[in-house]
Amino acid sequence: MDDINEKGAVATPESDFYKESLVLFEGAISEILTRIDIIRRYFVATGRRDPVEYCKARVKTPQSTKNKLVSRGLEPTYENALEHLNDVAGTRVVCTFVDDVYSVVDMIKKQDDLVILNEKDYIRDPKPNGYRSYHMIVRVPIHLPEGMTYVTAEIQLRTLAMDCWAALEHRIKYKRDVPHKEMIRDELKRCADEIASTDLTLKTLRDVIDKME
Amino acid sequence: MKILLADDERELVNAEAAILRKSGYEVDTVYNGGDAYSAARDGAYDCCIFDIMMPVMSGIEVLEKLRAAGDSTPVLLLTAKTEVSDRIKGLDAGADDYLTKPFSMGELLARVRAMTRRAGSFSPDVLRYGDISLDRNTSELNGERSSFRLGTKEFGVAEYLIRNAGKTLETRRIFDRVWSEEPDTDAGVVFVYISYLRSKLSSLGSCVVIDGSDSEGYTLR
Repeated sequence: MDDINEKGAVATPESDFYKESLVLFEGAISEILTRIDIIRRYFVATGRRDPVEYCKARVKTPQSTKNKLVSRGLEPTYENALEHLNDVAGTRVVCTFVDDVYSVVDMIKKQDDLVILNEKDYIRDPKPNGYRSYHMIVRVPIHLPEGMTYVTAEIQLRTLAMDCWAALEHRIKYKRDVPHKEMIRDELKRCADEIASTDLTLKTLRDVIDKME
Repeated sequence: MKILLADDERELVNAEAAILRKSGYEVDTVYNGGDAYSAARDGAYDCCIFDIMMPVMSGIEVLEKLRAAGDSTPVLLLTAKTEVSDRIKGLDAGADDYLTKPFSMGELLARVRAMTRRAGSFSPDVLRYGDISLDRNTSELNGERSSFRLGTKEFGVAEYLIRNAGKTLETRRIFDRVWSEEPDTDAGVVFVYISYLRSKLSSLGSCVVIDGSDSEGYTLR
């Protein structure tokens, strides 16, 4: 069981480091998740196919936030995390097909109280290791007793297949000094390209079937 | 299998064409070098047979122009001459084989069989067209920003289209070429594989497209 501190809140390593900013980061996440959830439920309610399989979210661990701040030459404080980091609040939206990713991106962009700071289309331009996803950095309005404030959050959108590769690649996490490093890297990239191919094949097959019906 | 036969001796051409057709080939016949060049440039053939001595353009000139344009269709040269220099010139220009007139039809058929069997083995490991390339070693379709690994059939369709870029390939021929080992497959499969390649080309952001439909045939441009 977590300790309860004198204010009645649960004390965790997260709240120890982030203090009250944890509410902001978690608030940004729950804002994004709610918005996605409403879109999904509306699709179903109007008899359309839900483009999203599932969502995941996390607040960056204090240790990795501190490491990132230090590596940028900043004091490891929550104020600096709020001010300088974009990915402390992270949400991942896993979609069914490749075109679903783009349609959810469009729906997010239409929410004009969100401020889109940056977008990177790693589906169109995969990273050299084969990684594919659509990344957005957004500023989410959070309403506090004192008024509205923006919290920066990252949204990663990808398909089930892209998520599968990313998850497995993460698990394999080979050591930097492993022999045949290049061969292993090439093989992982080959798997990414193969999965991307199958991903698009499934989407196209769905289109072909839709046209037949 | 489709063959282009070019010779100005009409009677000989018609006799050869009849025998080739009887052996199961589709045959187009032309009677001069100019027509031979435009037919080979615009049509997709599995093999071309050119006589060296033809009006308008010699067989060697036609061959040189085709090879210069990147066309790697197997070519057999027919020559009435027995001069070695003519054969050397033909082979150097990119001919795959030659046959000296007069020849027996049996030998012509055997050489055509051998050439079409070898087709592909002389082809480069990487085929390029426009802003895409197809790598035989990795089965990858590469664009400028990204790449996809293709399955065997998908690779086969892509290879046939790229090799014959700009030429219209009938659906039936694509099917015969790629699904030759599985003739019972539903021929509707061609459209599905064309659709796969279309979506991959568009996802690569390529300017290369596949035009056409099942009824019109397909053309990569």
